[in-house]
Amino acid sequence: MTPAEKPVYPEPVLNRRSGKLLTGTRYWPTELWRNPWSLPRYRAGALWLAGIVLGIAAVGAGVGELAAWGEKLLALLGRSGLPAAVVAWVWVLVKLTCVIGVIVANGLWAVWWERKISAHIQSRMGPMYAGGFHGWAQTILDTIKLLLKEDVTPAAADQVMHLLAPIVAIAPCVMAFAPVLFGDELAAARIDVGVLYVFAFASISVIGVVMAGWASGNKYSLLGGLRAAAQIVSYELPRGFSVVPVLMFASSLDLAAIDRAQAGYWLGFFPRWFIFYPVAGQLAFIFFLIASVAETNRTPFDIPEAESELVAGFHTEFSGMKWSLFFLMEYGYVLLASFLLAVFFLGGGAAPLPHPTFIPAWLSIPSWIWMTSKAMLMMFVFLWFRWTFPRLRVDQLMDFNWKFLLPWSFANIGFAGVLVYLHMRGWGPG
Amino acid sequence: MIEAIAFYGMAAVALTGAVLVVSLRNTVHSALALGLSLSGVAGLFACLGADFLFAGQLLIYVGGIAILIVFVVMLLGRTSDLHLRQVNQQWAAALLVCAITGAGLWRLGGLYRHASALVPAAATTRAIGLLMLGDYAVPFEVISLVLLAALLGAVFFSRKDIS
Repeated sequence: MTPAEKPVYPEPVLNRRSGKLLTGTRYWPTELWRNPWSLPRYRAGALWLAGIVLGIAAVGAGVGELAAWGEKLLALLGRSGLPAAVVAWVWVLVKLTCVIGVIVANGLWAVWWERKISAHIQSRMGPMYAGGFHGWAQTILDTIKLLLKEDVTPAAADQVMHLLAPIVAIAPCVMAFAPVLFGDELAAARIDVGVLYVFAFASISVIGVVMAGWASGNKYSLLGGLRAAAQIVSYELPRGFSVVPVLMFASSLDLAAIDRAQAGYWLGFFPRWFIFYPVAGQLAFIFFLIASVAETNRTPFDIPEAESELVAGFHTEFSGMKWSLFFLMEYGYVLLASFLLAVFFLGGGAAPLPHPTFIPAWLSIPSWIWMTSKAMLMMFVFLWFRWTFPRLRVDQLMDFNWKFLLPWSFANIGFAGVLVYLHMRGWGPG
Repeated sequence: MIEAIAFYGMAAVALTGAVLVVSLRNTVHSALALGLSLSGVAGLFACLGADFLFAGQLLIYVGGIAILIVFVVMLLGRTSDLHLRQVNQQWAAALLVCAITGAGLWRLGGLYRHASALVPAAATTRAIGLLMLGDYAVPFEVISLVLLAALLGAVFFSRKDIS
């Protein structure tokens, strides 16, 4: 931009940080920031939303700080003189609030993180202005924008289904988080068939995606929805079968039991995580990772929303909050897959090294920090994948699933069987 | 009390979905209502403490079969499927069949009227696994053989001839 083309604003511009009126060259990139009149309201809205999100997250962290605190809180509720049924309901509501808070806060965080990662992979900066420090408020402001956006329903759309589709997509995502461990023994619900439960609810969301594609009333969206259905139903199979070795090692479907089975160390220092079980563990990890990426509709498996072919696939005709619900669903499932990877293969809340004897026990890092950091590491892998690999074609995608991933998942169950047999005979990794 | 509310609520969901399947004009809506009905059945399993069946029903029927049915309806549907009535005029015969079936089910249900379904829910997965690979190992494997044969047959008959 040459100096001649540079816009010259007649009125002075308010600098957000210093509060001074600027007449020079430092302009905010948006009209909103340049308009001092709307700035306080905008800032207040951002603060409110940030406060709500942080408040929910703080409630979640406060209640879930450790399971013992939760027990204390429940006992406190029980002593309050309310009938038992009411206490149970209130308790369920508290836990549900925590889980929803996790999902919402994760949406804000993951979108920002994805933008930064993609930007740095592509030698860009990503969001830098909003909020001041590296654009931390960018996604919060985006959420305000989406809330204020007009909600458009196309004339050709099936009105009711267009309204229901995002709901059907997001509700199972919230429900699937019920047995997910955020630390040792730290989950909203203890479900004995936890693994099966998570997979069952995660598989329902695709109905919402198909509904969205069909209800939009155009060919591109329909194609996107149908592709999503074909892809997700196909990749559920290797995703389920690649976990079977883990279930064999832990001999339980309960996530907490799987977490416990990986505690302890070989030779006193080598963690007994399932990813370190020879051959079967590594193969299962890789297969589950690939299938999870495919399940979340992300590159290299994002043909349902292939923007070079289908505009935006199934959510082309959605705007405002309906659209952001689909977005929230995608990142919710990324978080779910990250936590599942951490629990199944990376030892869950177990520390990678035994606690040193010269440090007092109360200084040890709590399990939920290990769990969250492992999940975040896996989430980084997800985001990294997206900006590294090219997209697969539809036929390549199906061939890869049915001719490579699924047979080898079956073979891997055999490898795991060999390991279990050796273990029963008393040799191999104990 | 809560259990009863949940049970009858889920029964209502299953039945409402089933009625919608046959009464809606739009076949896509019917297919989605089938998914709703199957979810209601899964909820019934959950209310009765059958956790493995609940998750399996959701995973296979709602997350698999219902989606495949929706898929086929959307892919192969004609325009006339979206507004024509999906029922014919044989309602008298249908009512008769339903009445006979209903009476039979009512009699059957009467046998178990005093059996309490509200036992404390216990984990069932281990017991199911032990039964399937213990006492019932042979029928279990025979069923899997039949399914494998059906799968191979489907692949064989649906593939294009490569000459």
